[in-house]
Amino acid sequence: MKKVPEKKTIAVIGAGPGGYAAAFLAADLGMQVTLIDRDPNPGGVCLYVGCIPSKALLHVAALINESAHAKEWGVSFPSPKIDLEKLRGFKNNVVGKLTGGLGQLSKQRKVTYLRGTAAFMDSRTLKVQKLEGGAEQLRFDNIILATGSRPVRIPGVSIDSPRVMDSTGALDLPDIPKSLLVIGGGYIGLELGTVYAALGTKVSVVEMMPGLLPGADRDLVRPLAQRVQKSFAAVMLNTKVASVKEEKGGIRVRFEGPEVKELEQVFDRVLVSVGRRPNSEIDGLEKTGVTKNARGFIEVDLQRRTNDPAIYAIGDVAGEPMLAHKASHEGRVAVEAIAGHKGASFEPRAIPAVVFTDPEIAWCGLTETQAEAEKRAIKVARFPWAASGRAVTLDRTEGMTKLIIDPETERLLGAGIVGPGAGELIAECVLAIEMSAVASDIKLSIHPHPTLSETIMESAESYFGQATHIYRPASARGAGG
Amino acid sequence: MSTEVTLPELGENVSSGDLVKLLVKPGDRIEKDQPLLELETDKATVEVPSPSSGTVKEVHVREGQKLTVGQAILSLEAGDNGAQRPAAKRQAEPEPSAGKTAAASAASAPAPAPGAMAPAPSEGPGSGQAGRKAVALPELGENIASGDLVKVLVKVGDRIEKDQPIIEIETDKATVEVPSPEAGTVTEIAVKAGQKINVGDLILMVSSSAEVLPQGGLPEQPEPKSTENVMARAAEPAQAAEEPSVRDGEAPARGTWEAPAEAPAQEEPAAARALPNIAVMPARRPASGRSPADVAAAPSVRQLAREIGIDITDVEATGRGGRITFDDVKRHARESRISALPGAAAPALPLPDFAKWGEIERQPMNAVRRATARQMQYAWAIPHVTQNDKADTTALEKLRQRFSERAERMGGKLTTTAVALKIVAGALKVFPRFAASLDLAAEEVILKKYVHIGVAVDTERGLIVPVIRDVDKKNILELSVELAEVAERARNRKLGPQDLEGGVFTITNLGGIGGTFFSPIINAPQVAILGIGRSQWEPVFRRESGSDGAKGHFEPRLLLPLSLSYDHRIIDGADAARFLRWLAEAFEQPFLLSLEG
Repeated sequence: MKKVPEKKTIAVIGAGPGGYAAAFLAADLGMQVTLIDRDPNPGGVCLYVGCIPSKALLHVAALINESAHAKEWGVSFPSPKIDLEKLRGFKNNVVGKLTGGLGQLSKQRKVTYLRGTAAFMDSRTLKVQKLEGGAEQLRFDNIILATGSRPVRIPGVSIDSPRVMDSTGALDLPDIPKSLLVIGGGYIGLELGTVYAALGTKVSVVEMMPGLLPGADRDLVRPLAQRVQKSFAAVMLNTKVASVKEEKGGIRVRFEGPEVKELEQVFDRVLVSVGRRPNSEIDGLEKTGVTKNARGFIEVDLQRRTNDPAIYAIGDVAGEPMLAHKASHEGRVAVEAIAGHKGASFEPRAIPAVVFTDPEIAWCGLTETQAEAEKRAIKVARFPWAASGRAVTLDRTEGMTKLIIDPETERLLGAGIVGPGAGELIAECVLAIEMSAVASDIKLSIHPHPTLSETIMESAESYFGQATHIYRPASARGAGG
Repeated sequence: MSTEVTLPELGENVSSGDLVKLLVKPGDRIEKDQPLLELETDKATVEVPSPSSGTVKEVHVREGQKLTVGQAILSLEAGDNGAQRPAAKRQAEPEPSAGKTAAASAASAPAPAPGAMAPAPSEGPGSGQAGRKAVALPELGENIASGDLVKVLVKVGDRIEKDQPIIEIETDKATVEVPSPEAGTVTEIAVKAGQKINVGDLILMVSSSAEVLPQGGLPEQPEPKSTENVMARAAEPAQAAEEPSVRDGEAPARGTWEAPAEAPAQEEPAAARALPNIAVMPARRPASGRSPADVAAAPSVRQLAREIGIDITDVEATGRGGRITFDDVKRHARESRISALPGAAAPALPLPDFAKWGEIERQPMNAVRRATARQMQYAWAIPHVTQNDKADTTALEKLRQRFSERAERMGGKLTTTAVALKIVAGALKVFPRFAASLDLAAEEVILKKYVHIGVAVDTERGLIVPVIRDVDKKNILELSVELAEVAERARNRKLGPQDLEGGVFTITNLGGIGGTFFSPIINAPQVAILGIGRSQWEPVFRRESGSDGAKGHFEPRLLLPLSLSYDHRIIDGADAARFLRWLAEAFEQPFLLSLEG
């Protein structure tokens, strides 16, 4: 690791996965680092109210679903008794352990951790209002903005009621409601809907687009949609929420759309999960050269440098996709750029996305939907999990693995997987894309038997066979090349 | 069935050569590995063997022509399975045989399209098919009716833009690039390099972008596919037609949900939706050129390119699957640094029309000349310094004369060069930097633990530099014998590529012709070269011992002019002076060789 010659001072605002990764690397490179966040320890949304607590709960949900499924294999359990306080305790424990660990790592690296909020005085000066009281004015060589994002609120829908929650509220597990309406069929809504459905809540989902997980390839979504049809009380597509009113004993919701069956329904609770927006309203930002785009994201170059040369921005606040692993990679790039490493650049070929529903959906690189929109010539090699020995042993054969391949070079451009464990499996495809692997590289790599990872190898094999070729319309093929 | 024989790979960095002699003619029955032609490359004259046996049907090349690797040489009719090929099979055929080059596919009749493929029937030029356009050689200027096609700049399958150069043509006036009057995808190339073409002749066919390229004509398959696969590909468009829209309606185009207009009444239309929007790089594809995302290179290789300031899209790939390796980036860095220098642009200087002022004659540069020109062009990038000195060879000359007969008995000639070889070998052991190379990309100096020394030989074709191996392990007599033998082979074109490779230093002796000092040019990637002039008797002033003034006498001494050019990036002046002095003293006192060398 190249050390920086003189001791640079650097501030990182926001201690989420992007911010703490940046701060830790900067400290390891010999910089003097100040990390600023409101929470008691580093972790941010991801660890406190996002990826981590939701996965702890989804693990429990999977166990519940699995034990119910076991009846078909001749093993019956009585229906589960849920001790909500203990479950919440488990989740909080997970969060505490991980954020506490980060606090330790931060101390060991001699990172100055300030609990509070920061405001710009100028491009290099911050005034930190400390949570414990008092303010501190500090000057830095460079400042990294890692302020993240927050759930979108819809006026008239996100009404002020304890029964209407966002993802943070839902992760608190206030109770197990009899009925829950999830507004927004994106990944957050579906993951939390899965948790509540497993706990016994009748979950309904409303989505204004014609399918769940808009933007994801339809063939990946299909097995999930089918399962959700059974585990959820209702999935309302092409449907908008017209109004939300609190009344005694529930929330009355009016729906609007061509497929609406019941115009009004009453739910115990409502989860609004229609998206997240960047936290780019930072005090005093106008005193710097930082610029934002129309959607509120801070504009950055490949090194994640903003329009102000002293200031960098990473993670959700610097643009989509809003994913923790993208943020931490960006954090490292920004710090390397500050340290003067010429090779530092954010140029990924593939950023994996994982939806931790049951079944999981994961993809990376080019999607079929994108290729179609761009009229790019691709070939898709699919492998249905019904032909995977491992999937059959799990009694989960609805899964599918597909590789998106450039017909000209046979390079892997993208991959999509749906099925249990898809999130773990996708990593191999990311590496393959980054290494510019061609289909035969994957085909010729021995994969362990019997595992689900074989489905990736066998997809590559199917590329060379005839049966699984998917032919694109002639017009789409000509424009590629 | 007939196959196209193309010029195979000839070795590292050899991409072309001059056809010296054709060894077969149409009608000849040839065996596998039988030599087809004699080719003179930059490095050596080689015989190109046939990859298969059969009867020569047609020869596409002629003596004196410059051939490039991959170019079609001749068509070969295989022994038995000749003419009766089922028509259906023929349609799928061209890919494997024409796989190598565009020239090859052009030579073997235009690629026929499978009948099932409606959009792009491949018929002759001017068939009037919508979307398919013939590109012919346009008027080139007054009184110019034809020219020699120097180079085809596009290949079948390429997307070309209007005004993009498609061929380079040499007329009596100039070499010009001919721009395409059409945009589209090249479906067929009707000409090949070396051919004479007239104004109005068909050059190539393009199809407009919406159309499909005939699969059979695709030249750039990385690996030849089995026939089965080829047939499968040929059948694709038919199936595509039956399935015009894949899962239509199901997959909304990305971005629809991003559009604020589609969103419900939200106060915050700028907000992102809950779904991670994976805007990945491979999607970007500018109309012209490669985008970084299209380049096959591992993240670490891409990082190296960024670190040393190389645009990865400019790097030529040598790795499997078209991947760019670490070495590719480093090589590109080396080469681009050279070509980035002002001198390197010289060949592009437009030439005046010399014929305006009198009669001229154009002679093609032979391969040796081209190689020398290129090598010297590279060398221009090296910061040269030349250090001169004189060596007193009076004593050495006596020894040389005394032992010359012995050398002759062994078949050699005890020349100054033979002695110089031995002396330089000794000096290189003491001064290893003079046998080094510079790896600028890695910022490293490469020291070589072997002493192979190049010797410039003047031949009727031009300068050739054979390399004498392990000079340090041979005595002067052995070297004199080897030198005579190598020089002879150089003049008779009998040197192989291996005879010209691996030198760490070069000696050029012009003394046989005359002259004193000169400035030899370094034979890159070496870093130094020794030039030797003609030795002359000169008066040398010998100061009387003990005298402090100009007291003494002149003595006739035989002085040998030595000129050492060196690369100042790696060698400093003082080192060069020491090195040259060491050489001069070794010439003066050959004993030094056995003492230190």
